[in-house]
Amino acid sequence: MDVSNKLSFDRTDAVNAGKSVYSLIIVLLIWEIVTQLGMIHYYFLPPLSDILVRFFEMTVDGTLIYHGYLTVRRALVGLVIACTLGIVIGVLTARNRIASWFFDPIIEVGYPVPVIALVPVFLFWFGTGDLSKIVLVAIGCFWPVAINVRNATRDVDENLIWSARMMGTSDRQLLRRVIVPASAPGIISGIQIALPISLIITFVFEMVAGGGGLGHIEIQGVRTFDSVQVYATLIAIMILGFALDRGLRQVRFRLLNWT
Amino acid sequence: MSYANLRLADVEETVPESIQRPVRFLLEWIPLFIVIGFWEFASGVFVPSVVLPPPSEVASVTWELLVSGDVLPHLQISLFRVGVGLALSISIGVLLGVGMARSDPVEDFFEVFLALIYPIPKAALVPLAILWLGVGTETAVLIVFLACLLPIVLNSYNSARDVDQNLIWSAQMMGMPSWKIPLKVVIPATIPSILTGIRQAIPIAFIALVSAELIASNEGVGFEILRYSEVGAYTHMFAVLVIISAAAFFAVRGYEWLEQKVVRWT
Repeated sequence: MDVSNKLSFDRTDAVNAGKSVYSLIIVLLIWEIVTQLGMIHYYFLPPLSDILVRFFEMTVDGTLIYHGYLTVRRALVGLVIACTLGIVIGVLTARNRIASWFFDPIIEVGYPVPVIALVPVFLFWFGTGDLSKIVLVAIGCFWPVAINVRNATRDVDENLIWSARMMGTSDRQLLRRVIVPASAPGIISGIQIALPISLIITFVFEMVAGGGGLGHIEIQGVRTFDSVQVYATLIAIMILGFALDRGLRQVRFRLLNWT
Repeated sequence: MSYANLRLADVEETVPESIQRPVRFLLEWIPLFIVIGFWEFASGVFVPSVVLPPPSEVASVTWELLVSGDVLPHLQISLFRVGVGLALSISIGVLLGVGMARSDPVEDFFEVFLALIYPIPKAALVPLAILWLGVGTETAVLIVFLACLLPIVLNSYNSARDVDQNLIWSAQMMGMPSWKIPLKVVIPATIPSILTGIRQAIPIAFIALVSAELIASNEGVGFEILRYSEVGAYTHMFAVLVIISAAAFFAVRGYEWLEQKVVRWT
């Protein structure tokens, strides 16, 4: 984040950058040399150059872009549903005693369930299309969001609420003006925890059930003994994960720059 | 929490002291019974009971599976995988985290790899693990290991960075050789936050385990879930799900209990 503020690039920066990536370059070079010499079976570890060429081909002909779009759509739609429900129920649970009585034990019991194990049953209920994936992502991401929002909202400083009340803030304004802004860091942390979960559920679902998406392409590579495809898809997944993570960090930075 | 306790406490005080604990327990868990009751009612009325088996049936099948011991070998295999994966990631993660925090060359070497692994959802590495290790225990252990590695490395790295410099200076002043300092001073000082890292890693380990077993396994709990659903035995599938959820739940609770018993100096 602080790099973008600095426009000049002097010698110490270059040295630091060299220090932090030299190990990667060494490993990649060894990878390329060892595989070109045929010291490792092609199936286990194809040469890096082959993988990059395939990655380029699959990007240009649109395969990776189309399937990446499918994956991102499923993960993000599910995540948005989970966040909406999780924030509403989390805030309610923290601020309302009846909601707290009702939802607390449910959250305690629901949180540790490995929702990912429901993949086969959702396949049966909703088929192989988008719907089953989105619903399962929404359920899987709901728990971490709800529990983080609940904890953050519960820990809002009571003095803030009393001060606002004393100055005549109404109940409805209190929620919007005081409670939600004060618990925003915790809410966004919950979303940051849920983001990788949404991707994991989407990938596993695509691998088990098919129906397109990067996970499907990747497992297809294993089934057709085409390891280059597995590696090329993995590069796309890495870029995707990185972009989503960075995007969320940017959102956090923009929204919370007052903290 | 304060609101909820207030309310429950009021009710509790109206009953004799001897039954206050069970009453409180019941009051706290009523919502769960409501949900289960609604599920029991809904299955067979709104949705066919084949699709969503009622909880009473799931409970009886769970009991049956546990008593007959059909699921126990699979549970044993799965717990073994989680255990080995976690143990590997703890031993390597703590070494990496502490090493990176205390030595710049180590940090320069490994940081870029961790930064590359970090954005990948670990389940996406299952196909790669199948390429290398085939279908079975090794794949599941590798995925659990990778998934748990980062929380443990991050926690031990951050706290090893923040170790009180006075502790290190004191140790040096008292003549401790420099190679002993990480072992005798830094790691003991970072243990509380390493334990937090492990606490965060346990649920992740179970998610990683089930995803690896769903995609690539011939045994284990994840495989059992997939197999029961393929033959259409959804009641059994839910029963296995209950068992693995309970295992994950008690793993976390048991760990927290152990942490409180063992780590008394914090």
